[in-house]
Amino acid sequence: MFLNSVVIVLREVLEAAVLVSALLALARTVHLGQRWLWLALPLAAIGVALYASFLAVITDALDGAGQEVLNASLQAGVYLLLLPILVLACSAEGRRQWLTLLMTLAITCAIVRECAEIHIYVRAFAALGEHAAAVWAGSALGMGIGISAGVLVYGALRAVPQRWALPACCATLALIGAGMIMQATMLLEQVDWLPDQAPLWDSSTLLSEQSFVGELLYAVLGYEATPGPLQVSLYVGCLLLAGIALWWGSTGRAKHAVLD
Amino acid sequence: MSSFCRYLSVTLCLLVVNAAQAATPVIELEIRDHLFIPEEISIPANTKVKLVVYNRDATPEEFESYELNREKVILGGNKANIFIGPLAPGVYPFFGEFNPRTAQGRVVVE
Repeated sequence: MFLNSVVIVLREVLEAAVLVSALLALARTVHLGQRWLWLALPLAAIGVALYASFLAVITDALDGAGQEVLNASLQAGVYLLLLPILVLACSAEGRRQWLTLLMTLAITCAIVRECAEIHIYVRAFAALGEHAAAVWAGSALGMGIGISAGVLVYGALRAVPQRWALPACCATLALIGAGMIMQATMLLEQVDWLPDQAPLWDSSTLLSEQSFVGELLYAVLGYEATPGPLQVSLYVGCLLLAGIALWWGSTGRAKHAVLD
Repeated sequence: MSSFCRYLSVTLCLLVVNAAQAATPVIELEIRDHLFIPEEISIPANTKVKLVVYNRDATPEEFESYELNREKVILGGNKANIFIGPLAPGVYPFFGEFNPRTAQGRVVVE
């Protein structure tokens, strides 16, 4: 039970922690502060509690597709919020309230998506009494390792030379966002809203998704050992769109600089 | 005439959708005492199948499979629909993420 709790909590925390770390590094780079994080945490806590309380209703909604559609919407929401975040972060001055608002919403969506499952697991299995200590201790350790991995990502992004700091943060966020879109499509395949296609390749023997490196790459790059053509094309499309957002933001900044 | 054509096309679409849904085989399995029953299910190759998983335990479980790219939380006493396939022949393991030591199963595609 202890080891199982470590694994479950680590897997979920890792994804949220990596996104929080990349956004923290971005905020530091553009001197935004951390107000968005302190706003997002209580919002996410409310979201997680609501999600867990209404999961039975959510699951049965939309002819049994509710859980997947909500999860896919939260993940797609993170990507769609990251696009204007990239534009605003690159266009520097002004619109700080918008950046704060968008980052608050993105983190809230990510934490609700990833942490609702932890809440459901811990609440159910810690209540069994005999395993309570193992569940709590394992969960705490899993959370600790996940947050440490996030600190590692933050440290790596902050270690990038100043000139490349902003592009590095933006590229990391684009990869995380594209990975989330890819995961969202798989959820929609699960309820037959999208057709399930034969995988283009199988790299599970090279790098298992269940290994720690596989999980970390899943969190950062959306690593998937057996992606279908739809996933690969959406992933590439999302990265291209993020690239356009970055380019648009930075040319806006160039114009702004000229006008000044 | 045009409204008739529209009516006909809508009816045909509905028929096709119904036929597609009716043609999807349904396989039921249970989670009981943190075990999947049956633990092995066989499905034909290149066919989409709807799994209906009943969680008979009081505790929640998460149906999870890396090979099938599936994950779904099923609360205690509830059921969940999970579509899989079309799949190539092979063995695709799945497990209950909340009780992986006991809740293990596999889809055999033939």
